[in-house]
Amino acid sequence: MSLLKPFSKLPGLNTANILPAGKYEGHLTSTWQTTWFKLVESEEQFQQSLADALVEETSVTVNVRLAKSLPLPMENDESRPRIDLVVFIINLTSELSFQSAEASLKYLDPGYFLGKVCFMVTNARNASAPAERLDAVRKLAASLHCPLLFAEDQTPDGVASATERLLTILKVAAGLVPIATALYVSNLTRCTLPLDIDQPSFD
Amino acid sequence: MGSMDNTAKRLLERLVRRIPSQMLKTTLDKWSRLTSTQRQSIDYTESKWALTEKLLAICEENELTVKHIAELEMIHVIENPNLGMWYAFQLMDPQDDAHSVELTQFKEQFKSHLRELIRHVSIKIKKHTDEAVWIRIAWGDTFSRPNHLKPTYVVHYLQTPYVFLTSLTSKQKPLLSQALVLSTRYQAIKDANLSGRKLTAIRDLLMKQYLQVFPTKFPSPLAERNRVVSNLHIEKEQAGSAANRHQMACEAFGDGILPQLQSAVYKLETKFRDHTNKTMTERDETFRCVVKFASTNLLESLRHSASSGVASTPVTPLLSSVPLKGKNYFVITDNGPGPSSQMKPSQK
Repeated sequence: MSLLKPFSKLPGLNTANILPAGKYEGHLTSTWQTTWFKLVESEEQFQQSLADALVEETSVTVNVRLAKSLPLPMENDESRPRIDLVVFIINLTSELSFQSAEASLKYLDPGYFLGKVCFMVTNARNASAPAERLDAVRKLAASLHCPLLFAEDQTPDGVASATERLLTILKVAAGLVPIATALYVSNLTRCTLPLDIDQPSFD
Repeated sequence: MGSMDNTAKRLLERLVRRIPSQMLKTTLDKWSRLTSTQRQSIDYTESKWALTEKLLAICEENELTVKHIAELEMIHVIENPNLGMWYAFQLMDPQDDAHSVELTQFKEQFKSHLRELIRHVSIKIKKHTDEAVWIRIAWGDTFSRPNHLKPTYVVHYLQTPYVFLTSLTSKQKPLLSQALVLSTRYQAIKDANLSGRKLTAIRDLLMKQYLQVFPTKFPSPLAERNRVVSNLHIEKEQAGSAANRHQMACEAFGDGILPQLQSAVYKLETKFRDHTNKTMTERDETFRCVVKFASTNLLESLRHSASSGVASTPVTPLLSSVPLKGKNYFVITDNGPGPSSQMKPSQK
């Protein structure tokens, strides 16, 4: 199985490499009565805007490797630099998005789960995102000891703040922050489950 | 009493109302039924009502009739073919001399055949610069004069089997079909199941006047095919499959700017299929429904869906039939071409 390994390559000088992975898919929704289908735009645009914003960072050279899911194609193995942080972007309104992220996890070497993986969800406030899905993502992130970030993908401000938070984690994961290591920080940032997560929600 | 009867007046009023003031000047100039003094005397900044009155007066002066106003309307429609609904038809089974029918022959034959079939009819034929023959038909019947307020426009490209029409009643259809078939030297005409508001779009689609992409074993280097990467620091891991998808999408729909088709309609007459809904699936009768895709540019949307992975590649024949067959109306049955299960909407 082609696992992505965290330490099998040498790092670059003052460089951090990030792999935002998010399945790009739209889905057709329909209702019984109407005969209209609405094709829903998905998060490739968010992934791209995030990438554009990340590379603007000046204190560190950030390289972004965009992917839809893992495993990554073998042809790129040679040329691929060491990936410091893998971010799974999950659109909460899409079941496929969640399933794709879940399926991609097994292609990561366990070493990544020591602070080099994080989850980012979008559309948490969207009415069509079922609460169970967010709970499922929370449980997944908590069980893997990974941080869970919430991002707002529709406005440039939202993208900017998501970028900032990712950069903070990325710099640590790349070993560019003195004193802090990825494992240490992940203890502080990892997702925790509220005690009442399995209780039925308000609505 | 003047030469302009009620119909002529109404037709003129309607035209002045429809044509935007800026375009009115050019249209009137093309019409060439007014003298230059008359044309100069028109103030295009006036209200439409005032313009109508002015034009009515000039038309009376020149003793113009409804036929002349119909000319004006035709000029306007030819200049603006993308208003109103157009329906495509295809001529079938050409006779030996069908491919050498030229303009004069077609004009004479069409007029004479149509006049044989219907006594009161007003026909105007005009050849446009792009090889299209435009026909305006005002229909009357045994007892009444041609109705110029509800004309049918027909566009035919000589030496092709394609004909495009605007509104036609079921009574008029067989008469027009007959006249067309006889004058073009074909044996039959059928509905091409393609319609839209933009004549140029359905014409380009049917006559394949856009960049076709043919399957090739060695497509051009990835670098040219891929979207321009915004930054050297950003790289796509799965660029190969993206390029593949893009190639397949272009093979199905074409490259570059695509004809602006605005809708595609699928009429389903298939059995209901959804394993999560037993009640509906158990029914024997067909589940009739109509699926309509609408967009400002449907073909580009579909191509983008395929190249970005939203629609699976290779492109399903249900979608690729639109450009391939030049149709945008399909009836899908369980025995029909293309697996009908692919059209099942996913209930999410």
